[in-house]
Amino acid sequence: MDGSQIALVTDSTADIPEYLVDKYNIHVVPNILILNGQSHDDGVDITREEFYNSLPGMKIQPTTSTASSGTYEELYTRLLSSGAEYIISLHAASSLSGIYNAARLAAESFKDRIYVFDSEQVTLGLGFQVLAVAEAISKGTTLEKISELIQNIRPRARVYAMLDTLEYVRRSGRVSWARARLGNLLNFKPFVELIEGKVLNLGETRTRHRGIDRLKELLFNLGALENLAILHTNAESDARQFWAEVKDHFQPSIEPLIVNVTTIIGVHIGPNGLGFAAIIKS
Amino acid sequence: MLSDTPPVPRQGKLHGEPIDGQCLKSLVEAGLTWLRTNQQIVNSLNVFPVPDGDTGTNMVLTMQAAYDEIGKSPERNFGKMAHAVAHGALMGARGNSGVILSQIWRGFSRSLDNLEMMDGPALVHALTMARDTAYKGVVRPVEGTILTVSKDIADAAQNALKKTDDPAQILEVLVSAADESVQRTPELLAVLREAGVVDSGGKGLFFILEGMLRYLQGQSLEAAVATIQPLAAMNMENALEAIEPGQDYEVVVDFHPTQPLDIQDFYGELEKMGTSIQVGEGDGIYRMHIHVSTEKRYYPIDYVMSLGTITKVAMENLLAQMEQREEPCGGSQAKLPQVTIEPGQIAVVAVAPGMGISRVFNSLGAAGIVEGGQTMNPSTQEIIHSFENLPTDKIIILPNNKNIILTGKAAAELTVKKVAVIPSTTVPQGLAAMMRLVPDGDFDQVVQEMTNALDDVETGEITWATRNVEIDGVEVQEGQIIALLNGKLICASYDLEQTCLTFLQKAHAEHFELITMFYGNNVSKAEVYKIVDRVRTEYPRQEVEVQEGCQPHYQFIIGVE
Repeated sequence: MDGSQIALVTDSTADIPEYLVDKYNIHVVPNILILNGQSHDDGVDITREEFYNSLPGMKIQPTTSTASSGTYEELYTRLLSSGAEYIISLHAASSLSGIYNAARLAAESFKDRIYVFDSEQVTLGLGFQVLAVAEAISKGTTLEKISELIQNIRPRARVYAMLDTLEYVRRSGRVSWARARLGNLLNFKPFVELIEGKVLNLGETRTRHRGIDRLKELLFNLGALENLAILHTNAESDARQFWAEVKDHFQPSIEPLIVNVTTIIGVHIGPNGLGFAAIIKS
Repeated sequence: MLSDTPPVPRQGKLHGEPIDGQCLKSLVEAGLTWLRTNQQIVNSLNVFPVPDGDTGTNMVLTMQAAYDEIGKSPERNFGKMAHAVAHGALMGARGNSGVILSQIWRGFSRSLDNLEMMDGPALVHALTMARDTAYKGVVRPVEGTILTVSKDIADAAQNALKKTDDPAQILEVLVSAADESVQRTPELLAVLREAGVVDSGGKGLFFILEGMLRYLQGQSLEAAVATIQPLAAMNMENALEAIEPGQDYEVVVDFHPTQPLDIQDFYGELEKMGTSIQVGEGDGIYRMHIHVSTEKRYYPIDYVMSLGTITKVAMENLLAQMEQREEPCGGSQAKLPQVTIEPGQIAVVAVAPGMGISRVFNSLGAAGIVEGGQTMNPSTQEIIHSFENLPTDKIIILPNNKNIILTGKAAAELTVKKVAVIPSTTVPQGLAAMMRLVPDGDFDQVVQEMTNALDDVETGEITWATRNVEIDGVEVQEGQIIALLNGKLICASYDLEQTCLTFLQKAHAEHFELITMFYGNNVSKAEVYKIVDRVRTEYPRQEVEVQEGCQPHYQFIIGVE
């Protein structure tokens, strides 16, 4: 089959910039942010900046939910009835969210036409996988090769982050060690790594300055990279500064995306986080 | 949206009456209303799979979406209405529990295509389908969850059909089957058992069914019923967080009632006496928890005594307890929260000179804390004792004092465990090393990183001079307050504040980001506040963190990083 018959679906945790979504015609399903018991589509009603500014003062901790499988079912039906022969639906780590399950359930009634994948990643760790698939589709790659591509790229995806506080991760309930490790110390920046669906604790630092040094060390340890995104939760100037300080390390140079992470993830890590997503060169 | 008034309850409806689409609409609304009334209970039970306290909210949002789909529909056909409910739930499903709930509705409706009126056999069949679809709704079905409850409901319905085909009577059976099934969930799922709760999603499903039954029986759907919780689920810690003014005493009474307890009356009487009422039950023993004012502190005991035999009474003065909590120097190492170590993980033993500092090491994941420091060096035996019972053979010791490094090394030689002593000579160094602890990391690499981290911080120690002396070119009179920078004497004066400020100046604190000050048990809070205010004024660009260290001898232990 030719690539144009394959539609590509992901969800809003992929954090793919708008211009790339448009360029590759990627269908992004918004996840749901629940504020005071009301559902909001990710990115609608409240901007990322507004959200992160008000998050620390919110009396009721916001929660998140996947879009319903009904939403996925409607989208799949629409795509299949408007020319797509097949659908690749690539989503956030199933270990952290029900998104993959919602998509999988929706795909059940379209046997052999929809292929749902667990990226084992979030934000650009997922986004770069989606973009690689988009690129492959645009070149007319076969379904089988695309599936191989995902298997190949998935173990090379990494996300690292320095959180400004452990509090939000702890509240999110998604990471068991976070509950035990909430310190008595007030100034305390935990490091997390997301690799193949697992969130690992890489220790902490007391100061942001040392934390940024630590992030550089983690970044350089990865070796040569295929893709890089500098991620932040409302700390854009830190993100740009970070890139300015590390860019000379990359020869030949690469152009990273700089992304204010979706509120769906930000709810669970809090504002003022800094990190990066990378695909290691094979 | 929901109408403002609850559905008009009609006693005895359904018995013998046709059950059509409009009737289903009322039942869905009743289930939703009752679930919403009890939403916080469901949220509070949420520990599995993700303990984020939103199961109740997600199930309400899902049921709301289901109801919104049919709220204005004049449809009389039961099957068509059920399909509409399922569609609404499917589109609006939120969270894991919402997804499964939507699958239950989907399965339920699937067998009812165009069925005009619901009857007993059709209901039983639909519940079987609901169960099957629910189980397919998750990748790895886990027992002890809403899935198990859906299964037990389907089984109960089948058994009930042998005795009656009246849907209303079957519903009564379903509600009690769901209740029992929910109570059994901790037996099936360890994480619930450990947390002392029943499954939240299962409880949510129970409330939906119970709401439907309450509607049929003409009972209110707006006010939550007073409940008895399992004994293990009673959370006194939280109760302590919210102390109401004037309610100074906490009274907990265990008792066997002589007559079956009327819970509504019981709560009613207790509410006249105090607040924060909780009632738990386990193996026939009831536990009553209440906060009361000083003068009423014996009332609850007298009242409970009139109802049965008291087996145990505990009374605590909450104000005194609060003060103790705010006094971190109270308590002992033994009372610190246990740090869980899995076999094969790296465990840290830290030597700490005061309870406040012990707490900080403990909160950062030090599995063993040994009390010790200047002039109170722990023995080799004490250090070995702190780690010999840990279920791992990879141990890191942080002596945090130069006189204890050798003791640590001696301990390392006397055990078969693999022990590394990281030569931390001060508390701030030990904390800097803790930051690099990765329990699951490679032992040698973690030891290396933790050792490197010792240089991440400058340490100040502020203490009395015990004799006249001149060291490193600084002349000191007995009784002066001296400062050591990384173990080296750098200044002395008769004024604590002055010594602190000189230390920070010599440590070039203005080039750093964070100043952490642990104050000792030999300095008054008033003095601490005065000095910290001054430090904050002098170093406006630095973060200044103050912790009660409780250490003896040192007025301050200061980390600059």
